[in-house]
Amino acid sequence: MTLQQQIRANRWRTALVLLGFGLLVGVFVLVIAAAYQPGVAGFVGIIAIVYGIFSWFASGRIIAAASGAHKVEKADQPELYRTLENVAIAAGLPRTPDLYMIDDPSPNAFAAGRDPEHAYVAVTTGIVKLMDQRELSGVLAHELSHIRNRDVRLMSLAAVLVGVIALASDLLMRITIFGGGSDEREGGLGAIGIVVGIAAAILAPIGASLLQMSLSRRREYLADASAVEITGDAEGLARALAALRADTQPLRTVTRATAHLYIESPLRDHKGLRSSLGGLFDTHPPLDDRIARLEEMGGFTLPMGPDPAKA
Amino acid sequence: MIFVIVLVVVVVLVLGWLMLTFNRLVRLRNEAEQGFSGIDIQLKRRADLIPNLVEAVKAYAAHESGLFEELAQARASTLSAQGVAGAADAAGKTGAALGRLFAVSEAYPQLRASENFQRLQEELTDTEDKIAAARRYYNNVVQKFNTSQQTFPPSLVAGPLGFTPREFFRLEDDGDRAPVAVSL
Repeated sequence: MTLQQQIRANRWRTALVLLGFGLLVGVFVLVIAAAYQPGVAGFVGIIAIVYGIFSWFASGRIIAAASGAHKVEKADQPELYRTLENVAIAAGLPRTPDLYMIDDPSPNAFAAGRDPEHAYVAVTTGIVKLMDQRELSGVLAHELSHIRNRDVRLMSLAAVLVGVIALASDLLMRITIFGGGSDEREGGLGAIGIVVGIAAAILAPIGASLLQMSLSRRREYLADASAVEITGDAEGLARALAALRADTQPLRTVTRATAHLYIESPLRDHKGLRSSLGGLFDTHPPLDDRIARLEEMGGFTLPMGPDPAKA
Repeated sequence: MIFVIVLVVVVVLVLGWLMLTFNRLVRLRNEAEQGFSGIDIQLKRRADLIPNLVEAVKAYAAHESGLFEELAQARASTLSAQGVAGAADAAGKTGAALGRLFAVSEAYPQLRASENFQRLQEELTDTEDKIAAARRYYNNVVQKFNTSQQTFPPSLVAGPLGFTPREFFRLEDDGDRAPVAVSL
């Protein structure tokens, strides 16, 4: 089964990425330990660990707040909620994820949460208005696949790790520049601290972007394939993606940090500058490509609608 | 000496492969089990809607006693069904009986207009959708489980390890949902 193989390959890649990240953190810690007294390194380490644990457990809520999503109950959106329940049953998830909504006319959706028990799916009001039930099932199945394949957990973990490194380097720079007891510290070590801090401050976001890209692009194809397995309806998802392709409004509340979470790049310039750079910094593969793969899977051809990017 | 080393390596590899195969089959068997209980929950939920539906219909069409009898039997068979084939059989009967109930209800506009009946019908439609979703999951897992046992080389050891292919959850009459879906 190609899907099973893909999932296994993905697990390996996940392990490798985490290992690489662990090594990076280890080197970072060693450099700090060499450049500072154990007391400072310990202080920074404890703060970073506490911060990491806190943000791991709060990651779902932080993402919801950052994207302007609020929780809705079954009574608020009975039809949508039922669709979600049905897709969750067909996906074999232990429980139906919570449903969040974003008041935004731009159609998009994402999944977040640290594990399947605490996961939720967020959709914009725009996507609910734009799509019929069949298309929405495809979109929700795509999001639930991210939850089931543990993509969401990995991305939460990555965000937390990057946050921890950023915080630690920030603290170090402050300690180095303003730190008390400066008589204990030699100038050379202070310089090393600044260099490490600056390097970490630059490398952390780049590392995060690389992580996002290496993980999320391949995962989009995999989530599309899993979604088809769940709903048995490749055409529904392909139509949903075609509807997203036809839409050009960018999402209002989005940052680079949350871009990789969405079903389709919320930055909405997939025909623009980034494409001409070979899509190196794209968080998502091109929609045309994803639709073509779905057409191949389901053995159908969507009628080509008007493509606004070519107009 | 070399022979012994080769032998040991081969034995370790075979044991490792056996372990992985066994674990995969156990995982799939548990998932299938869980998938089946997922179907069962929804089937029981549907069966539990029947008494309320019968009450609602009785208020307008008390003389359809043959239909009520059929529904009561369908419910009883769902609640006592054993195994996949039994559950599928009972589900088929229940679907057919409910189909007849909604066909009969067409003749009673007042019944169809009643809020209670509409609510029950909506709930039933929702349950039918969930049965279909649970069946999808179960059949997907069973297909993986059976394929894992039947492909070579796991096919050599699946039997001796105590694994047998599972039945798919098939309804004899897959058209049984159609009458429920009409006119909301």
